Amino acid sequence: MNLWKDLNAGIVKENPVLRLMIGLCPVLAVSNNATNALGMSAAVAFVLICSNWVVAAIRKLTPDEIRIPIFIIVISTFVTISDYIMQAYYPELYVALGVFVPLIVVNCIILGRAEAFAYKNPVLNSVLDGIGMSLGFALALVSIGVVREILGAGSVFGVTFFNPATAATIMILPPGAFITIGFLMAALNKLEKKVL
Amino acid sequence: MGKILKLAAILAVFCVISAGGLAYVYLFTQPKIEANSKLTLENSKREVLGKDNKGTAVAVSPRGYSGPIDMLVGIDPQGKVKGLKILNQRETPGLGANITKPGFLRQFVGKSAKDSIEPKKDIDAITGATISSRAVCRGVREALGKVKP
Repeated sequence: MNLWKDLNAGIVKENPVLRLMIGLCPVLAVSNNATNALGMSAAVAFVLICSNWVVAAIRKLTPDEIRIPIFIIVISTFVTISDYIMQAYYPELYVALGVFVPLIVVNCIILGRAEAFAYKNPVLNSVLDGIGMSLGFALALVSIGVVREILGAGSVFGVTFFNPATAATIMILPPGAFITIGFLMAALNKLEKKVL
Repeated sequence: MGKILKLAAILAVFCVISAGGLAYVYLFTQPKIEANSKLTLENSKREVLGKDNKGTAVAVSPRGYSGPIDMLVGIDPQGKVKGLKILNQRETPGLGANITKPGFLRQFVGKSAKDSIEPKKDIDAITGATISSRAVCRGVREALGKVKP
């Protein structure tokens, strides 16, 4: 029951983007189309789950005073690994996401979960928290990406629906991300009120 | 004092483990990464030089609206443009980024150093992206200037 709660929290209730409103910087940068959003979600999921796992495993060996530098070492190690792997095996994705991957190091979702959850909880709970938060992040990022790509470029996952010349370019620029996040947040609040 | 040394030692141990792990991953991904970048360059060269692969591919980076536009221009032995490809650009998505569209790039094929290459006169510029279009024209002229037939 407790495990299920840890997994579930990140998806809607404590959705990192739409509820906790952290990690918005990469959200603005890569959510201009659905494909980039999915790729970035995968990279963040890998780093978040691994870092939660390791931080939880070493939490008893970690002195309180230097926990933050240790978290950063763990996180940046996994970011660099995912950077190398993407560059080696998924070069097309790397071309689109290359600049944003190093930014995962300073993505506050990952450091935030290490500090707020993984440092205080057992390994299994922390991994589940990582999975839940990653799913929530992916859900938010891909929804924003789909909306922005439809309105801003007339396509979804690169498949064109209508003439891109009639699309609203503002939607694939940064203001479009803020507008979309605002509407999605409002929709989520409304939905939750109705359900409860 | 003793406490600080202890903390430093713990941090150092974490750093060594992390460095060791990274070195291991680097070792088996590096050859693949190098092969990839070589392959990408080869493919781009073949793309701008066409099937017979004759002539030279010149890399130029004219300054665009928001940073350099890295492009590869294929020039045949007679000094005419055979094809061009934008390798890297940071122009505005939806406007300047349309310089990568084949419809725009096709207009440059067959131009030589003697032709005038000006946006709006000789080349249809991209709507709302005059600076980006002008940068590509400048890049093509620069590349033609570098190769003497």
